[in-house]
Amino acid sequence: MKVRVFSTPTCPFCVTLAEYLKEKGVEFEYIDVSVNEQAQKEMIDKSGQMSVPVIEIDGEIVIGFDQDKINKLLKL
Amino acid sequence: MYDLVIIGGGPAGITAGIYAARKKLKTLLITKEWGGQIIKANEIENWPGNKNISGVQLMTQMVEHLKSFEIETKEKTEVINLEKKDNFIIRDDKDNKYEANAVIIATGKIPRLLNIPGEQEFKGKGVSICSICDAPMFGKKDVAVIGGGNSGFETALDLIKYAKKVYVLEFLEKTLGDEMTKKKLLDAGVEIYTNVAVKEIKGDKFVTSLVYENRDTGEDKEITVQGVFIAIGMIPKAGFAENLVEFNKIGEIIVDKNNYTKTQGLFAAGDITDVKYEQIVIACGEGAKTALEVYDYLK
Repeated sequence: MKVRVFSTPTCPFCVTLAEYLKEKGVEFEYIDVSVNEQAQKEMIDKSGQMSVPVIEIDGEIVIGFDQDKINKLLKL
Repeated sequence: MYDLVIIGGGPAGITAGIYAARKKLKTLLITKEWGGQIIKANEIENWPGNKNISGVQLMTQMVEHLKSFEIETKEKTEVINLEKKDNFIIRDDKDNKYEANAVIIATGKIPRLLNIPGEQEFKGKGVSICSICDAPMFGKKDVAVIGGGNSGFETALDLIKYAKKVYVLEFLEKTLGDEMTKKKLLDAGVEIYTNVAVKEIKGDKFVTSLVYENRDTGEDKEITVQGVFIAIGMIPKAGFAENLVEFNKIGEIIVDKNNYTKTQGLFAAGDITDVKYEQIVIACGEGAKTALEVYDYLK
């Protein structure tokens, strides 16, 4: 399962999300869109959002730290 | 049937929960989310015992601490109605009904919104209330900050690191934020407009412009922006209890020095109350006081 987290360094919900995934033992790619312009564009295109965090789980986009949806997609 | 139901899971509610559990009160804590406003604080430097701690970290520790005691919690749940018959009857947004002998309201404050066209529609599509989250998304873009108080100024400070152009729009004739910060903003090329009323946020897929009225002349103006950050303060929200409490003119619940509201057995603690200063340590203290008072009341 491929999990990507689009985030900015100072976003509180991104920190919460990353800690949550670590706690559940989920491996993920952490993308800092504040320094990676290309990833930022990709995130905006895919999610239609200019707001972080955005999570991509096997191609499915989750907006914000939506725990229920994340759990469902990751089968937690 | 509970001895006590606590509504709210911020510093006041959590501390009340810890104290109630230690007094062996049969307690239920209902909250929409944990931490309340503290999760938006990156660095907290006035919490005794921690020189510097993030809001998320402090919240996580507080919740862990709470859950180490015997207490029931219901998360992601919002109370929609509170009434008093023989006991208190609490109803939530999931059609559950609870009864309790005493209730503590600790629902804190939430960001105030503009209630203008486009605000909801473009949420996350240019409209944001969290500059520490979203400021980097506005690199080389033009953005407007609504609100010329300290929170608006801080938001503008976050944004000047990224945005091409930053406007600050204030409804009143004067901005209320610190002069020192204002100078920093002006030096960085921020344009500050006062006595203006924001009327509409426009866009297609994302925000493209903002319409405001110049309150001196009554004339409408439109500026091109890709981002609108709303920083017009916080409001208390306790409408579910409106028949049982007295509000002051800004909607805070009036309590006496022992946190009693006007209804017997109904208490309030933290930022939802008319206690003047709003600090984490104060909210915790108020939560503790209130739980002890409930214990005394139920005896």
